[in-house]
Amino acid sequence: MAQQRMALWAAEADIDEDVDLHLAIGNYGQNGHYEDAHIQQPQIDEATLLAMQQHMAQQAAFSQIPDVVKGFIVHFHQAVLNNNLAEITVAYESGWNKYTEKFYSRTEWPEAEVIAPLVNDDPIFLILYRELYYRHVYSRLQPNIDDRFHSYENSCELFNYLLNSDGPVQLELPEQWLWDIIDEFIYQFQVFCTWRSKVKSKTEDELIMLSEGGPVWSSYSVLNVLYSLIQKSRINEYIVAQQEGKTPEEIAEIVGEYGQRPLYRMLGYFSIIGLLRVHALLGDFTLALKVMDNVELNQKSSFTRVTACHVATYYYVGFCYIMLRRYPDALRTFVSVLNLIMRMRQYHTRSYQYDQISKTADRMYALFAICNALSPSRYDDNIANISKERYGEQFAKMARGGEDSLPAFEELFLYACPKFITANPPPYDDPTALSALVSPSSPTDASQPTTLTSVDPTHRHLSLFLADVAAQAPVPTLRSFLKLYTSLGAKKLANFLDVDEEEIVQEMILMKQVSKHISRVAGSEKSSLLDGQSLTSSDLNFVIADNMVHITESTVGRRYAGWFIKNTERTARIYDEIKNAPLPQPSKNANTAAATAAPTPAGGDAQTKAPRTGGQKVAWGGAKVA
Amino acid sequence: MTPETRTELIEDLVSGVDRYNPSNVSILEDYLYHQIRSEEYDCLANLAILKLYQFNPELYNPDVVINILLKALTACPLPDFNLCISLLDERTANNNLDEPDPLPTLLPILRGLHSLLYRCRFPAFWTAYRSEELETLRDNYTVECVGFENAVREVAIRAVKAAFTQISTERLGSYLELSGDDLQAYIQKLGWTLDASSSVISIPPNPDNQIEATVVQESISLPQLTKVISHAALKA
Repeated sequence: MAQQRMALWAAEADIDEDVDLHLAIGNYGQNGHYEDAHIQQPQIDEATLLAMQQHMAQQAAFSQIPDVVKGFIVHFHQAVLNNNLAEITVAYESGWNKYTEKFYSRTEWPEAEVIAPLVNDDPIFLILYRELYYRHVYSRLQPNIDDRFHSYENSCELFNYLLNSDGPVQLELPEQWLWDIIDEFIYQFQVFCTWRSKVKSKTEDELIMLSEGGPVWSSYSVLNVLYSLIQKSRINEYIVAQQEGKTPEEIAEIVGEYGQRPLYRMLGYFSIIGLLRVHALLGDFTLALKVMDNVELNQKSSFTRVTACHVATYYYVGFCYIMLRRYPDALRTFVSVLNLIMRMRQYHTRSYQYDQISKTADRMYALFAICNALSPSRYDDNIANISKERYGEQFAKMARGGEDSLPAFEELFLYACPKFITANPPPYDDPTALSALVSPSSPTDASQPTTLTSVDPTHRHLSLFLADVAAQAPVPTLRSFLKLYTSLGAKKLANFLDVDEEEIVQEMILMKQVSKHISRVAGSEKSSLLDGQSLTSSDLNFVIADNMVHITESTVGRRYAGWFIKNTERTARIYDEIKNAPLPQPSKNANTAAATAAPTPAGGDAQTKAPRTGGQKVAWGGAKVA
Repeated sequence: MTPETRTELIEDLVSGVDRYNPSNVSILEDYLYHQIRSEEYDCLANLAILKLYQFNPELYNPDVVINILLKALTACPLPDFNLCISLLDERTANNNLDEPDPLPTLLPILRGLHSLLYRCRFPAFWTAYRSEELETLRDNYTVECVGFENAVREVAIRAVKAAFTQISTERLGSYLELSGDDLQAYIQKLGWTLDASSSVISIPPNPDNQIEATVVQESISLPQLTKVISHAALKA
């Protein structure tokens, strides 16, 4: 009996080897301990055995959790139960990271089943715990296929609980966590799609699981979650009502019982940003901007408190503008958020967010360089300088144009673009099609046009972008010539460049065409991000009269306002300082001298005078003002 | 982005969640064929079709895709054509089609045509378009797309209007693939004037072909200075 327990115990310390355990038990029975085994038979059927085995493995795992971590989990659970936002925030933003660094930097946190006794098997807390557990696996370790499937299931359980409970749930979570939930959901979706698209590296088991995966991480299910959260929270109605200046009572009526709760409102808003991101990842840049129809891009709204969300929003909006060839709009988008990031850099202490933000910022500086090369004009000098500092070499090549510029554009685009995905998996459910994909069976297959089949999404978008860029390639050279003249014959220009006159004229038409962009108009901040007018964004303008090119240039006049305001402020500051400074009275020196000499000071010293009687407080205050 | 001709039904599909419902694809496809017949164009509605194809590969209909691309071609220099291509996900062999999929062969051709149009190589566009290689495209697709050639001419006209104040008939003719009386009639319809002796056409002034050198001056309005002024006033 005791011996058997030992065997069980030893075998069960390793959870993965339950199969071996069965064998061990079987052999054990045949090895001369027949009676014991016979007596035990009715008690340990397979299910009980498995349950026991699992239970003991969990106990073993449980005993290995450091006490501080147990204490932390209990405390965390209590904070969630009490809806104590301040304590949840501390546990979420600092406790979790602290213990990750200390105990789990290279291994998983204890599984939810193991810590369940600590939290009274509270199913909601366990879902939230798993959310953190899997996020940790994705960010620090290599998720295996079970992790990928289970993290999806856990997300579904969480959203199911939020959306399909009896009425809105009473749970409250910090805004940052809510954003991280949506952000992580989409991140795991993207990682899954990328992993799924690599057919060759899959094991047999993975192939089977993928073929039976069904809706796991399907585009439809991900979109479904995001749209459901948007609809349930009536976030679009909320934003519109707020813009129309409705009273809080009216807004409460409009958004209903779900939308009134901060948890749903924030999840709704973050889901809009999530849609922007998913559509951009899928290559639908118009729809990405269209879902933002009601969202006003500014830094005043209450939704901008979560910086990571704010930065992601501008990154994806800016990128979509690039793919819509709206380079000036993209530049404005990047400039406004990059300035913000610079201003708040000093306030950011939480490293796990800051790392992500500065990585995104760096990619936006690269995108800024791309746009600035394609639409040369003066934007924010500060941002332009930083961009040139980081990507000076590439920028010089891109701005010079010609064939040589393309590799520089490609390099920066690949570095800074989102991680594009395809909407559908390879045909895991169809073994013949799959094997044809992995290894083309016959030479005829291989020689068939492969334009649609063999291109991964990133390269598809890259090739479209590079085609646009290549079309513009002759423009910088033309521009440098035109800058030297106020009028110039087309023939003469053609001779300079050693090309055919008609070709030069057509390139000029192109140049005119690419100097115009659809742009958002000042004062239309409330309109859709897709709206805009065609505006000339170049400082160099020209027109062709038959064969003569007439050129004009717009220049920026000298700016006085900044200088004037800066100096006014400085003067005011100096003036204030002088006024507030104590007068360098000769009596002050005399006073200290007097103080050392005689303990009773003269009437001029207010400080010693004040505490004597209440009535003199007025005089004291008055003296200070004067 | 929203054409006036879009009906309420289509608007609901394009703007609502119903755009993801595969059973609505036929409504949008019918609307595309309506656009083909009546020289209308609705980019967002057509992108919604491609979106449905992206999510539901079994709906994929190459003829529809090709027609959408042809319509997007004539929206040049707007990025519509690229936006459509962006949604054409990689797809594995289409075993469920009765005939071989024409798209893999036609797509590079269409991209070539788009490149010529976007780069304003109008004469080269017409040469390529009339070439023997493009016979399939002409006979099976553009012939059905009412006013396709005129729509291409309008692309050229938009570009010419912005860049020229005057243009020779010969040059304009090569851009439009028109000559003689046809060209005369076309110019007249545009309201442009032809100087018979020099055979130079004058293009009426528009914001793009009226250029002047400007100096951009900063303009500071009083509200921007309130902080500075109120600070000074408070201290005074």
